[in-house]
Amino acid sequence: MRRSVTALITAVLVVVGLGIAAFATGGDSTITRARIERSLPQTFSNLYAQQATLLGHQGVTPDSLQATAMCDKHGPDVTDVGPGGDWICLMSWKDPNVPMPPEGYGKFELNVHSNGCYTASGSTKLTGYLMITDKRGREVTNPVFEFDGCFDPSSDDTPTGNSFPSLVSITSTSVTPDQQGRASVQLGCGTGADGCAGTVVAKAGATVLGTQSFDMKEESTKILTFPTPLPAGTKEVAYTVTPSTGVGPSSPSTLPVQNGQS
Amino acid sequence: MSAAELLTDAGHVAARDVVRHAGLGSTLRWEVRKLRAQLRTKAVLAAAVIMPIPVAVIIHGQSRPPKDSLFGRYSTENGFALALLVLGFAAQWAIPLLTAIVAGDIFASEDHHGTWKTVLTRSAGRGRVFWAKTIAACGFAVLVLLLLSVSTIASSVLVGGHQDLTGLTGQLIPSATALRLVALSWVSLLPTILAFTCLALLLSVWSRNPSVGIAAPVVIAMVMQLVGGLGSIEAVRPFLLSTSAEAWHGLLASPRFTGPLVEGVLACAAWSVACLTTAYLILRRRDITGG
Repeated sequence: MRRSVTALITAVLVVVGLGIAAFATGGDSTITRARIERSLPQTFSNLYAQQATLLGHQGVTPDSLQATAMCDKHGPDVTDVGPGGDWICLMSWKDPNVPMPPEGYGKFELNVHSNGCYTASGSTKLTGYLMITDKRGREVTNPVFEFDGCFDPSSDDTPTGNSFPSLVSITSTSVTPDQQGRASVQLGCGTGADGCAGTVVAKAGATVLGTQSFDMKEESTKILTFPTPLPAGTKEVAYTVTPSTGVGPSSPSTLPVQNGQS
Repeated sequence: MSAAELLTDAGHVAARDVVRHAGLGSTLRWEVRKLRAQLRTKAVLAAAVIMPIPVAVIIHGQSRPPKDSLFGRYSTENGFALALLVLGFAAQWAIPLLTAIVAGDIFASEDHHGTWKTVLTRSAGRGRVFWAKTIAACGFAVLVLLLLSVSTIASSVLVGGHQDLTGLTGQLIPSATALRLVALSWVSLLPTILAFTCLALLLSVWSRNPSVGIAAPVVIAMVMQLVGGLGSIEAVRPFLLSTSAEAWHGLLASPRFTGPLVEGVLACAAWSVACLTTAYLILRRRDITGG
């Protein structure tokens, strides 16, 4: 009995001691935005150069890619620190064989562990699918489809200053007029530095349905409704997004009108 | 000083020398002999040599690589990656168990068999028996790690091949360097296994029960791994033994980083000293009258 009490006290003391030691040494996580922003492009560049060798692409070296990344954990309202599967990084690089999309970056999702290792996977439009055909015609595993990396928990933690704009996109796939016959559209604002703002002009043929402005946080959606009712027989509505913050689609999006109101 | 006095004095010195000489060395030899006679010791050593072979063959034969673990992605096509995948598992689960099977039992078995009094009424004192058992258990731990690493690396490379390895910064590591780094990574578990040995020794002394001595270190290792993986209390990580078991990651990155290795050695040393001191004090103060 006495021995188990002593053991219990000892165990509690060890736990408390560990807690105090941890508190005394700072208590901050070593998983930070700056470290991931430095590590991810480095790992990616090395693997991307491997992929280029497999595909037989010329002129791609880890240095020539000049990859930079901007990372964000769990949306705009959370400090970008600590492990988790909710890290998102936007990364841009230069490969003459595969041009970047208009917004200038690809999006990567990271699962970062507390030991400083992470698994990343990104937009397959830019990096390709799991299996790729190499220059000799064999099916091989794509080294950048999904990859692991680790960084030094005591590496440079000064902010990188990398910043990419959010991508504004129209997320609706069709127009469903409300009871007053008004058209609405849903906008999405992707991960990015300062969120999205700007105006949307809606047109049904030659009729201007109205202009609505928006101001959104990153990683959010918003529904805009335009005041002028749709003229009878409208088949489709064209939306022109003009962002003042963030980047938008380069050409107007035309959505078909749903339901029988025509 | 007369001749007779000199003679008795020499006799005393000789007698003392004999006792001293018989002390740690022969106590240690006796402990080693006891270990060698035990089936479990042989079983652990045999397992350390044999088990990596089927593990390597089975993982290599998977149609989909076990991507959830570090180096799992390449483990079906690269022997070095396979050896590092096994290292990742061994570091968290197998290492504490393998060493605890001997260290967790080495003191408690004397209780179990009721042989403390027999041992202590021979020429060996408590301190000497303590150090002999500690050295025997630590030596066994080193031997197990050595056998396990050599067997794993050899079978992995034989089964998986020795192509260039993709490191943890995406860099390609040439085959020869990769072999050296993989071997170094396995060696880097030495402080961890010794710290777990000391922990098992403490539990063995304290609990006087072989099952506690063997099972508790494994459970503690599991808890440490769990705690180390939690996001909110990351600050305790440097003080956990499970962190030192992951310090080898830095060797496979480019540029290499050894900060976690140094921290790991310090943490393991602190745990070992604390465990051994406590175990020694418990054994010194213990009232051994029965058995």
